[in-house]
Amino acid sequence: MDWLFFGEISLAGLAMGGLYALIGLGFVIIYKATRVINFAIGEIMMFAAYLFLTFAGGMEMSPWIALPLAVLGGSILGGVIEKTMIRPMLGESSISVVMVTIGIASILVGLVELLWGADPQLLPGFLPRKPVFIGEMYLAPKIAYGFLIGAALLIVYLLYFRFSRGGVALRATASDQAAAYSMGINVRRVFNLSWVFGSLAASLAGVLVAATGGLSPQFGAIGLSVLVVVIVGGLDSIVGALVAGIFIGWLETVAGAYLGGEYRMPATFAVLAVILIFRPYGLFGTHEIERV
Amino acid sequence: MFKSILNKGRRLAGIGSIAAVLVASAPAMAQDKEPIVFGGSIPLSGVFAFAGVHLHAGLTDYTSWINSQGGINGHPVKYVMEDTGYEVDRSVAAFKKITGSNKVPVYYGDSTGFMKTIASELNSRGTTLMSGASFATALTDNEQYPYQFIPGPNYTQMFGIILEYIATQGKDGDMPTVAFVYSDTEFGKDPIENGKAKAAEMGIEVVEEIVTKPGSVDVSAEILKLRRVRPDFVVFHGYVLSPINEFMVQMRQMGLDTQFMGTFWSSDKLIINKMGADADGYMGVMPYNYYDSAEGGPMLDALRAEAEKSDPDAGYRPTGYIQGWFNAMVWTEVIKRTMDAGKELTAENMADSLASIKDWDTGGIIGIPVSVQDMSFPVGRIWRVNAKEARYEPVSDWIHLD
Repeated sequence: MDWLFFGEISLAGLAMGGLYALIGLGFVIIYKATRVINFAIGEIMMFAAYLFLTFAGGMEMSPWIALPLAVLGGSILGGVIEKTMIRPMLGESSISVVMVTIGIASILVGLVELLWGADPQLLPGFLPRKPVFIGEMYLAPKIAYGFLIGAALLIVYLLYFRFSRGGVALRATASDQAAAYSMGINVRRVFNLSWVFGSLAASLAGVLVAATGGLSPQFGAIGLSVLVVVIVGGLDSIVGALVAGIFIGWLETVAGAYLGGEYRMPATFAVLAVILIFRPYGLFGTHEIERV
Repeated sequence: MFKSILNKGRRLAGIGSIAAVLVASAPAMAQDKEPIVFGGSIPLSGVFAFAGVHLHAGLTDYTSWINSQGGINGHPVKYVMEDTGYEVDRSVAAFKKITGSNKVPVYYGDSTGFMKTIASELNSRGTTLMSGASFATALTDNEQYPYQFIPGPNYTQMFGIILEYIATQGKDGDMPTVAFVYSDTEFGKDPIENGKAKAAEMGIEVVEEIVTKPGSVDVSAEILKLRRVRPDFVVFHGYVLSPINEFMVQMRQMGLDTQFMGTFWSSDKLIINKMGADADGYMGVMPYNYYDSAEGGPMLDALRAEAEKSDPDAGYRPTGYIQGWFNAMVWTEVIKRTMDAGKELTAENMADSLASIKDWDTGGIIGIPVSVQDMSFPVGRIWRVNAKEARYEPVSDWIHLD
């Protein structure tokens, strides 16, 4: 066995898994606080990536200014969606809310086609192009630096949820809404913040993934493939999203390299099937979680 | 910004809309004869919209041009289409609606899936000849698809032309090595088995075969595999842009001197516009002259003039535009030949007329006279990107497969 090759493949997979974890985090934050499965998360990613394209490409801003602006734009979009379309659905059946998020996804695709056209796009290069070597192992620079940026945000999030007042309010609301409300936590504000934070994580992941694989109005489909990650990890578990994201990214890449690209998805879905049989609430999810 | 949105909105008019019917004006002398209808299931929205809007423009402009020339044997031409979103069920519904309310001798299909689905109905009706966006090898099976044709070489033939070119690039008597990279779709897999057989027949070793998901994916693991086999050529199929750019950039970063080639849908100027200098040296097989090529000819000049007239601000017209125009050109030739022979416009008569095309001068759309073989035009040329000039330049003669 060529261990160097295995090491390189694994590194690439783990780095990609880091981005999956970031998208998964976007799913989980929203679900954890509001119990809404956001099927529009891929389209929010796409929207942020198109904003980056406009700022860095069309308006020729520095990519390092364009990146936070685009991520901010994506997170504001998430907040607006929550306030105008999700909040009026409070109290409705969960399937109705899910259908609303699917509708939002369609609207965003149409909007993107109207504003930016249907042509596939490449984002302006903003990550270093010099190959990265860890020992003798090669790692594609976009993946390596994308992973580092994503990991930085993950650390900030973990610290925020652990130590800040907002983070504590979010965790309290997630564990018991009624108790949180009775303790004076503004639950509606927490709902809105969860959409803002979830969309922010997804938006950053959107720009980083689009920088690697290109952008088109169909880009949002990646959000659905990451649904596997959060089901495996547990829909309401941040740790689950991180562990499962990294594992699924690694598995997908190794399966693709050794078995062929057509086995990437079957490999991940095989894991999903096994998890659903033995732990239907995911590796780290709570028992009350229903199957999707 | 607002103006740009309006312009894009205008160009994408039809997205999500109901039906659009376009009747190009015809000279008064042609008005008293029954119109000939060009039908079409056109992907103005959805995953193939990037090409659909240009295919539609090509078909629209050709209709306008042929009517300005007096129509077909004095019959005005009417182009009737609907947006399908590139979904087979909507394409079928559009076909039924358009053929239900018009007599449609020729029809544009937007996908291989639709053209395969509609084949049995097309065969039993016997009224309509179909071509479209697909270059699928399967559609050139005359037994199963007697009334469908390919407006160029099919994907297997494109691979054949590419391999013919690669075979000429060997040094010191050694044949170059090649790797095939394709998407995990019906489109992507189409020419692979035949391509491998053809390569073996020619003594070209296929050193690696990479399958990827279509669309936005990370391909760094696949690139690591290619680094180990160091192919002289990589042939892409089943993509439009990504991940071709990533393969090229990363393999060059690794110091490999591999050359990169692609088939029809991955050989448009989009590659140059989006990749910039990184696109330099990329090669594609193309059956038509590019809109901005140095080539000329009466029909190519007419196409350029009509394109300029219909949208003076559009500038360069993508290969999809020329593909749409060429489809309609072939329909016109077929209808004319059938009428001139005094025959009815049935699918069988038109298929016979199509098969009779030999050494046809396309007026510069294709650089050499072409003949139909097995319901396709097995001709093409290898073009290479000159990134500095932002255009494709020919690096081979026209290759007409036997």
